[in-house]
Amino acid sequence: MTQYEWTLPDVGEGIHEAEIVKWHVAPGDRVAAEQPIVEIQTDKATVEIPSPVAGQVDALLAAEGAVVRVGTPVIRFAVETGSGRTTSAATEAPVPPRETPLAAPPRSRVLATPAVRRLARELGVDIHQIQGSGEHGRVLADDVRTAAARPAAVADRPPSPEPRLQPADDGDVRVPLRGTRRTIAEHMVKAMYTAPHVTAMDEVEVSTLVAWREEMKAAARSRDVHLTYLPFIIKAAIGALKRFPYLNASLDDERQEIVLKSRYHIGIAVDDEEGLVVPVIRDADKKSLWELAEIIQDLSRRAHEHRLTREELTGSTFTITNFGSFGGLYATPIINYPEVAILGSGRIQKKAIVVDDDRVVVKPVMSVTLTFDHRVVDGGTAGRFLNQVMRYLQSPLDLFMEMN
Amino acid sequence: MDPLKAFPLIQVLDEDGRLIGDRSQVSDDQLRAFFRWLTILRTLDQRAWNLQRQGRIGTYPPFSGQEATQVGVAAALSPDDWLCGSYRDWAALVYRGVPLYFPLLNSMGHPAAGAFPDPVQALPVQVVIAAQILHAVGLAWAAKLQGEPRIAVALFGDGATSQGDFHEALNLASVMSAPAVFVCQNNQWAISVPLHRQMHSQTIAQRAIAYNIEGLRVDGNDIIAVYQTMKEVVERVRAGGGPVLVEAVTYRLGAHTTADDPTRYRAREEDERFRHGEPLARLRRYLLASQILSEDEMQAIEEEAKGLVEQAVTDAASYPPSPPESVFDHVYASIPPQLLSQQEELARRVREGRRGGQSHG
Ligand SMILES: Cc1ncc(C[n+]2csc(CCOP(=O)(O)OP(=O)(O)O)c2C)c(N)n1
Ligand SMILES: [Mg+2]
Repeated sequence: MTQYEWTLPDVGEGIHEAEIVKWHVAPGDRVAAEQPIVEIQTDKATVEIPSPVAGQVDALLAAEGAVVRVGTPVIRFAVETGSGRTTSAATEAPVPPRETPLAAPPRSRVLATPAVRRLARELGVDIHQIQGSGEHGRVLADDVRTAAARPAAVADRPPSPEPRLQPADDGDVRVPLRGTRRTIAEHMVKAMYTAPHVTAMDEVEVSTLVAWREEMKAAARSRDVHLTYLPFIIKAAIGALKRFPYLNASLDDERQEIVLKSRYHIGIAVDDEEGLVVPVIRDADKKSLWELAEIIQDLSRRAHEHRLTREELTGSTFTITNFGSFGGLYATPIINYPEVAILGSGRIQKKAIVVDDDRVVVKPVMSVTLTFDHRVVDGGTAGRFLNQVMRYLQSPLDLFMEMN
Repeated sequence: MDPLKAFPLIQVLDEDGRLIGDRSQVSDDQLRAFFRWLTILRTLDQRAWNLQRQGRIGTYPPFSGQEATQVGVAAALSPDDWLCGSYRDWAALVYRGVPLYFPLLNSMGHPAAGAFPDPVQALPVQVVIAAQILHAVGLAWAAKLQGEPRIAVALFGDGATSQGDFHEALNLASVMSAPAVFVCQNNQWAISVPLHRQMHSQTIAQRAIAYNIEGLRVDGNDIIAVYQTMKEVVERVRAGGGPVLVEAVTYRLGAHTTADDPTRYRAREEDERFRHGEPLARLRRYLLASQILSEDEMQAIEEEAKGLVEQAVTDAASYPPSPPESVFDHVYASIPPQLLSQQEELARRVREGRRGGQSHG
């Protein structure tokens, strides 16, 4: 008897991982070569795996539901010595090989073309939940768009299974990468490896802004809103975006076109225990500062309660992250791909600054960063944009004068 | 004009395997040989699918369902005729004499799978959709200019007819009256695009009218119909009658390739409708009913097929590994100096990579 470990192959073209859907065999079972042993699912297909050897199942090395990387061992067989791959399937137990190319896997009976599936993925809708209007219930692109337009509470999504903690021999704990964490990981990698990131950093004196906010605090209390600096930063950013349209844009890689956005949907990064979420304030340019403050308060509260709709989480054209809210002075955030820039605001702290007549004065200073996609935006444009934002923050009256 | 009437489907066996036409041009022995080949090829195709799932070969495009057309076409040719096929046409190639393990070698990435042993007269499989139709016209025209009696046959899919190459090829062939036969395997799908999204014509055969050439529509799941039709067509073309377009109406029983899952876009009802009349089952029914082969004889053939396929798997697995630089070997008859230096450069990098412990997968 020898042992034979079978590792997960690339069952498609360029597949990196697959989910173990169902084991057809258990430890101790005798299997014939070519007998179906497991059903696995990739992002393209559900596939049956026929046994590569004849022998006895020694151990299953991956559980149902597990997402396994290509190249990982998933099953171990005990194989009669000398009866390896050279043994003809015909000499084994008479289990008829499945007529695989002709047989239809029973799972995922949704009919839809890959283009429609991709649309569904892009719009964040589960294609299995859609009632198709085409022939034989085929899901059409319009069905997906209709489904995407219907707000579905995020909380309705099946909760990502409790991560199973697997203590290893050395006392390290291995936490499976699942759910929100995994989505974030994938997005970050995509953004980082697609867009060449550059970050510009600066400081802006914000005594007027601090004074204005102090002055409005009482009014805010009576309106029952928490007035942060974020609404002002949003307004400053939009004022600058209107002058520099290439920052309110995205790059369509496929068509090799830069898309200049006509609307100003601002994403705001919210730090949550489960991981980063970025709710979107639609048409933020048309909202008053009070409205913005109320919307931000509502969005961040519902973000923590996991009650944001899909619509509220997609479609931003530019994103702002306030890393100052957890004490950061500087950071180099990752762009919310496919947008082309992200504005970061740091902590406001008192600093000694040298004014025009060489006196040193103490003033509140905010650090700001702009990370941009160097494919679309160059340092000059980015610098001028950031200066414009800073001008508005330093003298909010300018912003006020330009408001429509 | 009603294209369906102008280009009626030529059938000899109906879906149930009943004889409904004239089969005088094919002998019982020939039919036994067809059954044996269809069985071997079907066994190979299914085994190749499994081998991919087991991680032992790469992407593979199954031909199950199209064997009758491919074998029927190949059987109607003379050894000197050219066959120019696509990635899915291994059934035709194997029938023509390419070793059974070549399709497996091809999916393992061996460049040698493009160098068919003599005397097989065929181009390597083409992946660029419709390109081989032009190659066939070139070969046919060359034969005509050289005064040789050979003809060229192109095999291509329904999707290929939407390519510009298809038009260029048929136009040139008709202008030059080149001895070419264009066999479109209309398997109803181009990956996930159904035929009616591919074209608004009712048939592919009717396009022959535009080129003022002969067009025919044959049941591609009926090997007798394909073979007899092709025999006649090949004779006419060889005699100088000009090119012919043949639409073989068939069905891709499986997935586009091992990377595809047709249950995601194809209705089960459609599948079942086509499955009933598939070529191997149809021939089997006819041969049993007409007592040309018995169940026992068929079983013996199936056993033989398993053995042959098993041997092909062993042959492919034990084929010496192809060094990456061998991709240059078969591009030109003799390798030009620029390519030679690129080949040496690649070989050197691969060697250094190995020494450095890196993989150049
Ligand atoms: C010029 C070109 N365009 C696109 C492709 C991608 N492609 C590969 S197979 C295929 C579908 C071909 O369909 P069809 O001609 O019906 O042949 P079948 O696969 O059905 O045998 C396409 C579009 C390609 N290989 N070559
Ligand atoms: Mg096709």
